[in-house]
Amino acid sequence: MTDEIEVKDKAAWDAAEKVADYEHGWSSDIETDFAPKGLTEDTVRFISAKKNEPEWMLDWRLKAFRHWLTMETPDWAKLNIPPIDYQDAYYYAEPKAKPKLGSLDEVDPEILRIYEKLGIPIAEQEVLAGVEGARKVAVDAVFDSVSVATTFRAELERAGVIFRSISEAIKEYPDLVRKWLGKIVPMHDNYFATLNCAVFSDGTFVYIPEGVRCPMELSTYFRINAENTGQFERTLIVADKGSYVSYLEGCTAPMRDENQLHAAVVELVALDDAEIKYSTVQNWYPGDAEGKGGIYNFVTKRALCQGRNSKVSWTQVETGSAVTWKYPSCVLNGENSVGEFYSVAVTNNYQQADTGTKMIHNGKGSRSTIVSKGISAGHSNNTYRGLVRVAPNAEGVRNFTQCDSLLLGSLSGAHTVPYIEVRNPSAQIEHEATTSKISDDQMFYAMQRGLNAEEAVALIVNGFAKEVLQQLPMEFAVEAQKLLGISLEGSVG
Amino acid sequence: MNPSAPTRRDEAWRYSDIAAVEAAWPLPAAEAIVVPAGGNFERTIVQDSGTIHQLDIAIGKGAAAAIHVLNIGGDYGRVELNVTLHEKSDFKLGVVQIGGNTQTLEIVTTVTHAQPKARSSQIVRSILAGKATGTYLGKVAVARDAQLTDSVQSVKAMLLDRSATANAKPELEIYADDVKCAHGCAIGELDPMGLFYLQARGIAPADAKKLMLQAFVAGVFEGAADEEMLTVAALKKLVDLV
Amino acid sequence: MLQINNLHATVGEKPILKGLTLSLGAGEIHAIMGPNGAGKSTLGYVLSGRPGYEVTEGSVTFNGQDLLALEPHERAAAGLFLGFQYPVEIPGVSNVQFLREALNAQRKHREEAPLSGAEFLKVAREQAGALGMDMDMLKRPVNVGFSGGEKKRNEMVQMGIIDPALAILDETDSGLDIDALRIVGDGINRIMRRPDKAVLLITHYQRLLDYVKPDFVHVLDGGRITRTGGAELALELERDGYKELAA
Repeated sequence: MTDEIEVKDKAAWDAAEKVADYEHGWSSDIETDFAPKGLTEDTVRFISAKKNEPEWMLDWRLKAFRHWLTMETPDWAKLNIPPIDYQDAYYYAEPKAKPKLGSLDEVDPEILRIYEKLGIPIAEQEVLAGVEGARKVAVDAVFDSVSVATTFRAELERAGVIFRSISEAIKEYPDLVRKWLGKIVPMHDNYFATLNCAVFSDGTFVYIPEGVRCPMELSTYFRINAENTGQFERTLIVADKGSYVSYLEGCTAPMRDENQLHAAVVELVALDDAEIKYSTVQNWYPGDAEGKGGIYNFVTKRALCQGRNSKVSWTQVETGSAVTWKYPSCVLNGENSVGEFYSVAVTNNYQQADTGTKMIHNGKGSRSTIVSKGISAGHSNNTYRGLVRVAPNAEGVRNFTQCDSLLLGSLSGAHTVPYIEVRNPSAQIEHEATTSKISDDQMFYAMQRGLNAEEAVALIVNGFAKEVLQQLPMEFAVEAQKLLGISLEGSVG
Repeated sequence: MNPSAPTRRDEAWRYSDIAAVEAAWPLPAAEAIVVPAGGNFERTIVQDSGTIHQLDIAIGKGAAAAIHVLNIGGDYGRVELNVTLHEKSDFKLGVVQIGGNTQTLEIVTTVTHAQPKARSSQIVRSILAGKATGTYLGKVAVARDAQLTDSVQSVKAMLLDRSATANAKPELEIYADDVKCAHGCAIGELDPMGLFYLQARGIAPADAKKLMLQAFVAGVFEGAADEEMLTVAALKKLVDLV
Repeated sequence: MLQINNLHATVGEKPILKGLTLSLGAGEIHAIMGPNGAGKSTLGYVLSGRPGYEVTEGSVTFNGQDLLALEPHERAAAGLFLGFQYPVEIPGVSNVQFLREALNAQRKHREEAPLSGAEFLKVAREQAGALGMDMDMLKRPVNVGFSGGEKKRNEMVQMGIIDPALAILDETDSGLDIDALRIVGDGINRIMRRPDKAVLLITHYQRLLDYVKPDFVHVLDGGRITRTGGAELALELERDGYKELAA
């Protein structure tokens, strides 16, 4: 099997060299162990066995798998997706020469090289290259189906913070994991979440104990390297009373002609007075200029603001993937709890994005803010889809939503689908949406001052997205700004 | 041709009183209105008996259409407009929905800008008391060639009781880049400070409420041929409610 | 005219007024001064009956009537006028419509005949003219798009039209330039300085008192009147500050 993979990798390398638009489009020669292609109960058992999981975990997976077989793919999003053959993919790919977790020295140097190339500080270095004043960042690196390294563990443990791959956490902290796993996103929530329950292979678990302010940024970098492989990671973050954590997530994948599936589930819980800040820069391979290849990104992200005064803030910069289907949401149960959603989604060429949020206000005095900036170029389609719901008993709820769309060129589409459902008169709900293009005057002005067309567009787009970008931790903001420019290359004549 | 009655899974009926819809099913064909090029069309719809109105309106080149809707009557009242705008045409919609008790009132619009330089404006004001539900599902679709489209949706709802529900979905589907499309939506209750200000000047609470609700819907029927009739009917319903 | 006796009031369970006693006679102008957070605005709101301002102890009588038993609009009809520190914007309701409804509601309450449109406009024109306000502004929605100074001037026009027995003016001088201050001051004197009327001026600075000379000045601090004097007390406060006085 390995030979075949190497041949395929070679072909991918060649393809990667031909098209240099996608910065992270190279794949790498890592020997990989696959589960047999296809998806049956045996696949689920294989994954569970590979992970040495306890019985309850296997039962949970099988239950999910059996239910998944009865479900249908959702069709309500403004997305045009050819039928996916779930049997024509690998559900588990593990780099051979598996490192002993926790010991960086034993990580395959080739993998380290990849992360280095991605600019991710997998070594315990304090500063990201080229960014002054950067803080420490602890990293969990997920390579295909497994977590290959988690850094700064000792320092985090001194603060009482648990930062583990989820497969380790299932074994080491079964009670904590069982208490919350599947409680925020129930097993039967939706087609892709249920699939994830059955076949998730790795991901990150974070627990911040009561009163602890996590001493550094935590982050996970996801990389799909192997071909024909789906990635199904699962993240669970529990912020106990009065704690705080800022978590970053970055994603890349090599260029492949086939579409690859990514179906992740992220669950967050914030108890009384706890705050979670969750930032994503999603740069999965978007496919080529003709719309061939690219990642199908079906992600279920949800936060439970369970405690009084709890707060969860989602910030996302979505530039990658052929298809994005993603609605990071907040269930605001706690009194005076706060939910925030800041999003920039860029689509170019034939990309399709249907993304937004749900703010479910059940708690008295709960507040939410939604700022969505969609940028459509090429032949792409970019949809904001959101729900703001106020329950009858939720007094004094506030929501403000701002959805702005920017169209570049006349072949793309920009759509806004906000749902507003209010059942309590004391709510104050405001929604505003605008659609605009970059004016000729703006372009001329910028170019007259010496910028070329692409630089001018990048500048104006960054200004358009500024409100969201400034929510990102500084290290990410710089990266995200560059990414916006790169994603729109070739979009101006 | 009329398949089975819709369910809540159907986007356009997601907040409807399904039992009432089933009772009315099958619906007669929608009324088709063609406004010829350069023409001028005006229509007033007063829904006061619990019916479903469906109108298809095609507005020709350079033509104008204005629809004013007062949606107040019956247990389930729905007004559905399917509007297509051709070059340089103009569409104006003014809607007031006032509901109490267990009423379900809906205004559902699809406004398609099929050609360039057309304008559309939709103003919807809902006042809901008791266990009433008021819904606005409004889609503005701008076709690929419909450059210089100018479209506005202004949606506001006022809830008078904690048992009332307001739903809104001001949707945009845009395929042209040189357009001005804006929508605004606000849902809330009467400003308590405003009510106090009126009372501090000597106006009784019920009158203060009425005055502010009148102000809330003021202007929606401005310029309508039936402006006075509509205003009087709206006020009468308000008086019943407060 | 107004007797406030041992008044205690809370806002959202927080005690603000803690035993305030004050008496205003007909023909008198009183000024209440005090540091920020002393409870000055609360006093105005409690007297006019703003929801959320709860009286926990004490009594207020206004011309022999139990003021606290009345609804806000009944207090207005009884002759009490509150000049708001932040006059409220009411989109869609024109000033003219608002004032005519308000005036006629009060007259009805007092069993007086309502004013006709023409009669009302005559009064409105006079009062607006006296305060240098354009009739066009009276046709605009209440306070919408008005500058801070215009809003305060509008309050005075309303006071002129309604012609109350007792005016409580909450920081009517804030946000006014020197010309507007004189116009507003003249308005207060013209409308309210009469033997059958009284004024309670709530203010942070003494500058309005250059135009409207008070008969009594009270210092409100910590929810009670801590000192009372004549007009000279205001000058003393201006010179020495509240801290000095407290010490």
